[in-house]
Amino acid sequence: MHDTERSDHMSTMSGVSGDSTGTLPRHYLKPCLLLLLAEGPSHGYELLEHVRRMGIKGAEPGGLYRYLRAMEKEEMVSSWWEPSQAGPARRTYVLTEHGRKGLNESVQSLRDVREILVTLLDRYDTLSTRAGASRS
Amino acid sequence: MTSSAPKSEQLRDLYWRSEILQVVYWLHGEGLGDLVDMDLIRTYLGVDALENLSTYLNLLVADGSLVGDGDWYALSPRALADGEAQLATAFTDFVRPVRNECNDECWCHTSAAEADACARSRPGARPDHAAGKANA
Repeated sequence: MHDTERSDHMSTMSGVSGDSTGTLPRHYLKPCLLLLLAEGPSHGYELLEHVRRMGIKGAEPGGLYRYLRAMEKEEMVSSWWEPSQAGPARRTYVLTEHGRKGLNESVQSLRDVREILVTLLDRYDTLSTRAGASRS
Repeated sequence: MTSSAPKSEQLRDLYWRSEILQVVYWLHGEGLGDLVDMDLIRTYLGVDALENLSTYLNLLVADGSLVGDGDWYALSPRALADGEAQLATAFTDFVRPVRNECNDECWCHTSAAEADACARSRPGARPDHAAGKANA
């Protein structure tokens, strides 16, 4: 009997190590990956580089691998081994229709968060301006 | 035990051997390294504990898929040489059609009857699919 605990769902995975994403929304990796794959098919290392450039500095390959597998199980992503004449076969990932819907939902959720943040920042700026005016 | 691993021992062995091999191939293909140890495999598989991991690794060494050197494992020269061909068949479950999609190999392309059967087997398939793309 195996005593195995496995994170099969994205809800339990961050795909990142360390706390470099502390200021980013939870599960920010998901819309990042979906967006990158909506832009075109890609491979693991390429995705890793891109998500790091998109602000997830702590993204590490093991987490990315598990995340991609989880997304594949949820049928958001499809993949296959792509033989190469120049080197070893690589896994190519593409977005499915289900994944595109997931991207749309994630983006809408991020837009909602942006609205909330804008409201907070506007109020903060107003307060700062008022405080500055009263000091002068 | 993980919820996604098969329940029967024989299938579970195949499942984990496939999972391990995929990780090693993935790392190799992405240029992220050719050597793995048990900790690395656990990280990639997202398992905290897999009692028989060493057994599975030894099986892979015994059947010539991996070579072991102390705590480290790598794809064997034979596995590397045969890899391109094997990848196409060994991991066929990961190239299966996904929701509302089928691949170029799908039998649905061959006849209207097959297209109907394919569509029936996949609830939610596109309406045009049931009409038979073979006739388009």
